[in-house]
Amino acid sequence: MQTLLKILARYSNFLVFIVLEVVAFLLISLNSAYPRSSMLSTANRLVAWQYEIIDEIGDYLHLKRVNADLAAENAVLRSMVEKDAAFRAEYQSAKVVQLTTDKPHNYITINRGEEDGVYQGMGVRNEEGVVGIVRTVGSHYSVVQPVINTASQLSCRIAKNDYISTLVWNGRDYRYAQLHDVATHIQVEPGDTIVTSGLSPAFPEDIPVGIVENCMLGKGDSYYTIRVRLNTDFRRLKYVETICNNDRAELEDLNNGLE
Amino acid sequence: MDWSKQIGRYIVVMALQVLLFNQLQLAGVCHPYVYILCLLMLPPTLPPIAEMVIGAAAGLLMDAFCNSLGIHMAACVLIMLLRPYLIGRMVNDKDRLTEEISIHALGFEAMLRYTVIMVVVHHLAVFLMASWNWSHIGFALIETVVSSLLTILIILGYNLVKYK
Repeated sequence: MQTLLKILARYSNFLVFIVLEVVAFLLISLNSAYPRSSMLSTANRLVAWQYEIIDEIGDYLHLKRVNADLAAENAVLRSMVEKDAAFRAEYQSAKVVQLTTDKPHNYITINRGEEDGVYQGMGVRNEEGVVGIVRTVGSHYSVVQPVINTASQLSCRIAKNDYISTLVWNGRDYRYAQLHDVATHIQVEPGDTIVTSGLSPAFPEDIPVGIVENCMLGKGDSYYTIRVRLNTDFRRLKYVETICNNDRAELEDLNNGLE
Repeated sequence: MDWSKQIGRYIVVMALQVLLFNQLQLAGVCHPYVYILCLLMLPPTLPPIAEMVIGAAAGLLMDAFCNSLGIHMAACVLIMLLRPYLIGRMVNDKDRLTEEISIHALGFEAMLRYTVIMVVVHHLAVFLMASWNWSHIGFALIETVVSSLLTILIILGYNLVKYK
């Protein structure tokens, strides 16, 4: 017993080091699992609050552009009311409080939370196109995982031939994302429009995603590597809209029934 | 040892980190993590376990601001483990040191070596864990070089101004 205690005392520094590192790596792996704590993220009220202050200062410098964007957004909203009459979705505008575009795992903090009806898995778009999916919900703020996050996957459709594919991001350029699973017999060419497929409960059909920039085919490949220029300009993101799917409870019930 | 000074500096540096350095978007490769200045300059009189716990707490707070739960914590704990050994190698008589680690305490050359090792280890750990993908390793290395350079310059610059 005494020798054991001696050994423990001798290596206590290293033991504490191991324990702390194990905790850190547990947190990292927790962070990649779906539901996560809103305490230690920018969904936390205190953390988001200081980002909002920076943003307020920036707002005065960007008023002109924001005004123009808002006017454009109003127009889009009006048309949306009519177009989406069949899809029971409700849009709510939210302000971007904090965002990154230059990391492999980018996140966007918005100033809407649980009390505004935001839920995990909710789709988020702006007037240009898709933005991402709500990942963490705090009471007044939430964190959105945008398309430009290497962990994101978005079900898309090539508008002209209805081919369904998955959009991913390689972590490099915030303006471009990639389609990897389009078979070579599918006709795709630069300029084709990519829209949401409507297969996920987060997004209704036909929200613009991007335009095909180029299609590459390596030797012996049976799938194209397609570079898609994203419609949404993430670097300039100021306002977004959350998409509340009013049918989601029913959809969940149906899916649960299948299991 | 003056704790209020250390804490006051931490608050100022952390505010600068969040309000200024986290907002930098220079070609996507420059993310200086200047907040570790406070960890580097802590007085060497603390027990190693306390240093690692302080590192873990500082890293965790940084993670909250970066949505990167655990990554900064792991990197900070790592450099805090190295810290006593590095300081021991930089000065002959470690017990003589009671003031905070600085250019004044170590001399320019030793402080430079100490800062470079600590900053590069921390930044490399953060960027490798953040990319978490072997195909991005080249990019993570570029990020480490560029960001470390800026962090090292800022930490040494602060030292030179404070102890000129």
